[in-house]
Amino acid sequence: MLTTRAPADVPVYGEDIYSRSAILDPYPHYERLRDLGRVVWLSKQQVYALPRYAEAKAALLDDQTFRSGCGVGLNEPTNRLSRGTTLNSDDELHAERRSLVAHRLTPRALRKMEGDVQARATAIVENAVALRTVDGVADLAVALPMAVVPDLVGWPAEGRDNLLKWAAATFDLLGPLNGQAVRQIPTGLAMKRFAGTVVKKRLVQPGSMGDDVLRAADEGRISHDQCPALMIDYLAPSLDTTISAISSALHLFAAHPDQWNLLRDNPALLSNAVNEVVRLEAPIRAFTRKVARDTELSGVRIPEGSRVLVLYASANRDDTEWTDPDAFDITRDASRQLGFGHGAHGCAGQGLARMETQAILRALLERVERIVAAGEPSWAVNNIIHRYERLPLELIPREDPS
Amino acid sequence: MKINVDYDRCEGHGLCAEQAPHLFSLDDDGELTYHLEGQSVPEEQATKARAAIGSCPVAALRELT
Repeated sequence: MLTTRAPADVPVYGEDIYSRSAILDPYPHYERLRDLGRVVWLSKQQVYALPRYAEAKAALLDDQTFRSGCGVGLNEPTNRLSRGTTLNSDDELHAERRSLVAHRLTPRALRKMEGDVQARATAIVENAVALRTVDGVADLAVALPMAVVPDLVGWPAEGRDNLLKWAAATFDLLGPLNGQAVRQIPTGLAMKRFAGTVVKKRLVQPGSMGDDVLRAADEGRISHDQCPALMIDYLAPSLDTTISAISSALHLFAAHPDQWNLLRDNPALLSNAVNEVVRLEAPIRAFTRKVARDTELSGVRIPEGSRVLVLYASANRDDTEWTDPDAFDITRDASRQLGFGHGAHGCAGQGLARMETQAILRALLERVERIVAAGEPSWAVNNIIHRYERLPLELIPREDPS
Repeated sequence: MKINVDYDRCEGHGLCAEQAPHLFSLDDDGELTYHLEGQSVPEEQATKARAAIGSCPVAALRELT
């Protein structure tokens, strides 16, 4: 690995923000980074961290300087391997790839799915309320995206059992090449291999997003080689992220019954409540950008060729942007939060993620008086995804469900 | 202030319409309409307009000074 000396005049943070303990409890690290400066050199990862809101947003908006085409991960092998994906491209190429499937995710396209998503969410919630004591992750947060996303992508039935394992590996591999990532290499490769088979044998369901990708290749708009990566591109990020948002919402409302009551009294807050959940517990910790030309951020010189780490999860708790940033308050305006990224690479699936999270909460509001913690939750260990692994909850039913 | 809308970039997420319903709306097809195209935003609506710009997930809205 290329070793650079710490740049002069930039504060240095020497602790590993991707150690197991930091992954499980990242916020104290982020707070120290924000206190150190607006741009901080991470000696362990050899990148410039952007822990505050203004710089994170500025970098995401300036996609001519802060490029995605050399990868957005923290290690070069993954950045090279993920060439050809929407995540890992710029300008026209990126716009073209994004438009291949983004039309499936516009509000217009999603509106057609809304009734179906709500019906599935309602069935999942009714089942959970009947159980009363549930794992908020397995019984609620996982159940809905797994019922919605694989069908949308047209993924074959025989490849579905492994999806969560594969998606977690895909994300781990975008982090630094630590033990956590290395352990996931075989699983990441297994997903790539299966995606290759899906493309070769055309196993996707007709009329699905995956079908769109294959057709684009048939028409020569993209090459067939790119198809497996493009499928993974839209499948992997649609599961863990939404699972994170739904489970964090459940945990936050269990911990803050006043906010649950507030939402029940004023369901118009639902949309903003989801923004506030994603602000406070950003499902994706951070991605990187490569600096294409010498530049300056808040007076700090960042040389061409370096990498910046855009810390969404830290920017969303920056006290120079948010009043009382660690508080969960569904009435604050959280719409400018960066949990879905921002700008040209802003999450293409956020409309669907919002719809799923809202659908679960809506179904719960109608049936559940209170959500109560029923044991210690545990966090999943993943370099990129910040989500619960287990979340024991008791759902106290409403006495007269409306 | 004036607002420039990049319609090619807009994906219709609709957060601007939640922030500033007097300025932005989505039609039944999910297409965005900006009601003050080419005009200045009245001073009393500037705060909401800036919140709408900040909320756009794909940065399709820009403030022109």
